[in-house]
Amino acid sequence: MGKIHVLPEHVANKIAAGEVVERPASVVKELLENSLDAGSTRIRIQVEAGGKKLIQVTDNGCGMVRDDALLAFERHATSKIKDAEDLLSVATLGFRGEALPSIGSVSRLRLETRAPDEPSGTIVEINGGKIFKVEEAGLPAGTSITIRDLFFNIPARKKFLKAESTELSHIASLVTHYALAHPDKHFELHSATNAMLVAPPVAGYSERVYQVFGKETLDQMIPVAAVQPLERIGLPQPPPWRRSDPSGGNQQEPGEVLDPAPFGEMRVHGFVSKPEIQKLNRNSIYVFVNGRLIRDRLVQHALTEAYRNILPPTVYPVVLLFLELPSGEVDVNVHPSKTEVRFRQGTVMHDFVRDSVRAALMKARPVPQFAVEINARPTATPSLTPGARAGNVAASAAWRDLYAPAEATGFSLQAPVPPPVNENFQFGEAFRVEGNAALSLARAPQLIPTDGCTPPVPDEPEAPSDLAPSLASLKPLGQIRESFILAVNHEGLWIVDQHVAHERVLFEKILKQRAALKVESQRLLMPLLVELTPAQQAVFSEISDELAQNGFEAEPFGSRSIAVKIAPAGVDATQVEHMLHELLDQLSREEQSINLEKVRARIAASIACHAAIKVNMPLEQNKMEWLLAELAKTDCPMSCPHGRPVVLRYSLKDIQKAFKRI
Amino acid sequence: MPVEAIASATGTTTMEITVSKAELLRELTATQGVVERKTTIPILSNYLFEAGGDKLSLTATDLDLSLRTSCNAKVKKEGACTIPARKLHDYVKLLPDADITIKLLENHWVSIRCGRSNTKMVGMARSNFPSLPAFPTAGVVKIPGQVLRSMIAKTGFAIASEESRYTLNGGLMVLKPESITMVATDGHRLSHVERPGEKFEGVSGEMKTLIPKKCMDELKSLLDSTDAEVIEFAKDESTLFFRIGQRLLTSRQLTGQFPNFEAVLPKDNNKSITLHGDELSQAISRVAQFADERSRAVRLKLEKGELKLSASSTETGESEDSLEIDYNGDALTIGFNAQYILDFLKAVGAGDVKLELKDAQSAGQLRPAEGEDYKYRYIVMPMRI
Repeated sequence: MGKIHVLPEHVANKIAAGEVVERPASVVKELLENSLDAGSTRIRIQVEAGGKKLIQVTDNGCGMVRDDALLAFERHATSKIKDAEDLLSVATLGFRGEALPSIGSVSRLRLETRAPDEPSGTIVEINGGKIFKVEEAGLPAGTSITIRDLFFNIPARKKFLKAESTELSHIASLVTHYALAHPDKHFELHSATNAMLVAPPVAGYSERVYQVFGKETLDQMIPVAAVQPLERIGLPQPPPWRRSDPSGGNQQEPGEVLDPAPFGEMRVHGFVSKPEIQKLNRNSIYVFVNGRLIRDRLVQHALTEAYRNILPPTVYPVVLLFLELPSGEVDVNVHPSKTEVRFRQGTVMHDFVRDSVRAALMKARPVPQFAVEINARPTATPSLTPGARAGNVAASAAWRDLYAPAEATGFSLQAPVPPPVNENFQFGEAFRVEGNAALSLARAPQLIPTDGCTPPVPDEPEAPSDLAPSLASLKPLGQIRESFILAVNHEGLWIVDQHVAHERVLFEKILKQRAALKVESQRLLMPLLVELTPAQQAVFSEISDELAQNGFEAEPFGSRSIAVKIAPAGVDATQVEHMLHELLDQLSREEQSINLEKVRARIAASIACHAAIKVNMPLEQNKMEWLLAELAKTDCPMSCPHGRPVVLRYSLKDIQKAFKRI
Repeated sequence: MPVEAIASATGTTTMEITVSKAELLRELTATQGVVERKTTIPILSNYLFEAGGDKLSLTATDLDLSLRTSCNAKVKKEGACTIPARKLHDYVKLLPDADITIKLLENHWVSIRCGRSNTKMVGMARSNFPSLPAFPTAGVVKIPGQVLRSMIAKTGFAIASEESRYTLNGGLMVLKPESITMVATDGHRLSHVERPGEKFEGVSGEMKTLIPKKCMDELKSLLDSTDAEVIEFAKDESTLFFRIGQRLLTSRQLTGQFPNFEAVLPKDNNKSITLHGDELSQAISRVAQFADERSRAVRLKLEKGELKLSASSTETGESEDSLEIDYNGDALTIGFNAQYILDFLKAVGAGDVKLELKDAQSAGQLRPAEGEDYKYRYIVMPMRI
């Protein structure tokens, strides 16, 4: 007898479940996506014991008739696509037809559904993959799926589940993200004891962000929005039968109409954080492609590029980005969990995201505020006593503290402790998920006018719209520890890190001089022999022309060393070697291939850093004035080329608040 | 009695001396520069006081640099103690001009009495104070103090502020039986001064010594305030010793290889002009106002009968000055860092200077037009503008 046999279906389903159903949150994800695909406008999720005991997702979507309800538990049964061609342009969140049977095979599942135009609904109960009960019943329109005892028949998997609070936090963050992606829908998430999220439909994304995270967070974010027509350069045209048959979808996919206009357009909108928010991992980067939450290296790289020279290389911003592109432009059929996608025109997409985000950052010119720290510790004055650097660190530490509870949820945007304004909700405990934390937003709609997209908080602080005029009006008072310039203007108190400020000034000047080919350089007294590692050597030979343009003149000297004869002016001879090593190391660590623009920026940043005045250097009054004036003239005065913040502002309003004058 | 011999007389737990305020203050002031300011080791902000014979010896150190000095005192009980340096200096300055009695109390407390003033200060255990190397008995070289002072002034400004592989945070002193030379560089310029015609006994061949910048600065300020004509210099494997009168400065030696400066000294700079130092300095200062703030680059244009100096930057504008010169050679344009030239002109003082160039890529040389007793040359690398 042969050794090979076909697995029975229930085994196959369990194997599939291993891919699709990893933890309670993945069940929630599948069910939530089904609800969204069914056109629901109201989705309620109830979980108990972190979803281990109970997950119930109730929607008011299109429901199913009795036959469909039964068929839905067959493997690869779906209403979302019909043939392989449809895979080229999946417009729904789901399409594989694997979720329900997989979930059904590892839990006790109860499906209650009724299509709106049917007189009665259907109840289906499935226990570990076997249909237990099918009966007719009077039910509200829509679908409700109840999952009990997840993994009851797979003890191994059950053992690997984390603590209830962890699983709950995964679910909470997941629901939050889908709520963010669909502001026009009503989302509710309830644990056994609490309402964790109640978000009625609102008009726009910013209001949803406000609903979920509060005003403080919204203030820390910069809106991004851009559109770009797609041009399918060098890509094969879709086959004629595709083009002649635009209505390939069925009634489940009303949006699935192949755009008769040839290419369509790419849209991006969402929010990116100001540079002073720095996360140590990418967990706070949320990218949605056509409403689907994805983790994509290409997009992440585009974001890193956008924040280059604004954020230091090892920290990450908070990003909520919604990408919309014609469904034919993106392939979601990569992995069962559907968090990976392929873009048909990856490079175009990458550059589009990078440029849009960067443009938004440049335009906003955000300036870090002390307010954060003040809110974190209501007694404000001590926060100003340590050196500004310490204050800065403290400020970011305060942020970290604020975010720390949320960090565990996997999503770290969280409303900071709210200011004492009545109209603000108590978000303080939000997502400190212990199974009972509440995030009650039920009152939100009354307070948010549906016309504008700015949240109607009465005391809108003076907008930090354009930083340059503010900087130009600064009057320096003195230095803290000969490292940080204290300055005032009508807006309040400012602290400027003299090294990074000068670095920013030099950086832009060097780039300009480079662009104008007016680089000044200093010949060294005797050639400086620099030994290189093989990796550095490779980078050096790649960028040696660009280095020469930037005022370095170096010749190969022996097998693995170079002799530097001329170095950029302003850099001490003692620094040249260190600087070259640093530069070559940085570039050799780059994952992506080196492009010229990046090299130029890196070289300029490196020269600027080594030529700039250092901390612990006393400055005369006129020097400080000069530096502030020069800083005001720069294009991007808020962060140094390596991404550190340059200025902190303690606004008059915050000062008044801290002194209890308002 | 030699100062270092007093050190051996310590180890006791008593000390009582009387010293005149003026003498004590003079030595306290002289040693202030050596006391560590931002110390992490508390004992280094203290003086070590040692009493023996009829002398009080004071020692201050920051571990790299130490200064030991002494003054006359009436020693009632020999011994040693440590006293916070800055506080003592500030306090003694305010005392009336009279005798001060210093006495060691229990727990390292020190009592300071002067007339009707009475103070107790918190000292530390004498054993905590680092022990200092002793002045070598052999290989002592006598150097004329004012010669050394002048040579430090002519080179010290060119020392790099930071140490790297090929510039050192210090200067090189070369002693030969009949000359002394001092060289300093920061990698962009090099200052070289030689004084022939001195006799150095005990030196055979070449004696090269690297002197840290901090030591050179301290040495210069000690030489400024001394009336001793000759100082004594000696060194062992790790330490340099300079004895100026009753004061002994010891410094940790710099390790490293001073760059091969002789290779850098230009030999065929055939375009030579003579300029008035003050005029050149003023002209450069004027045009440098319009140079790039970072590179300080000024352009020197050598033409027949005229030296044109100019600088420009996109932000501030441009400026030109010209000096009349006696020159008939080929035209040449070369860029220099204005600060480097001004540094030299300041060090060289009044009088004419000679500027010798070869081409726009080669080092320029500046030196005083009339060689006095010093052979002074200053090499500046050009800039590419």
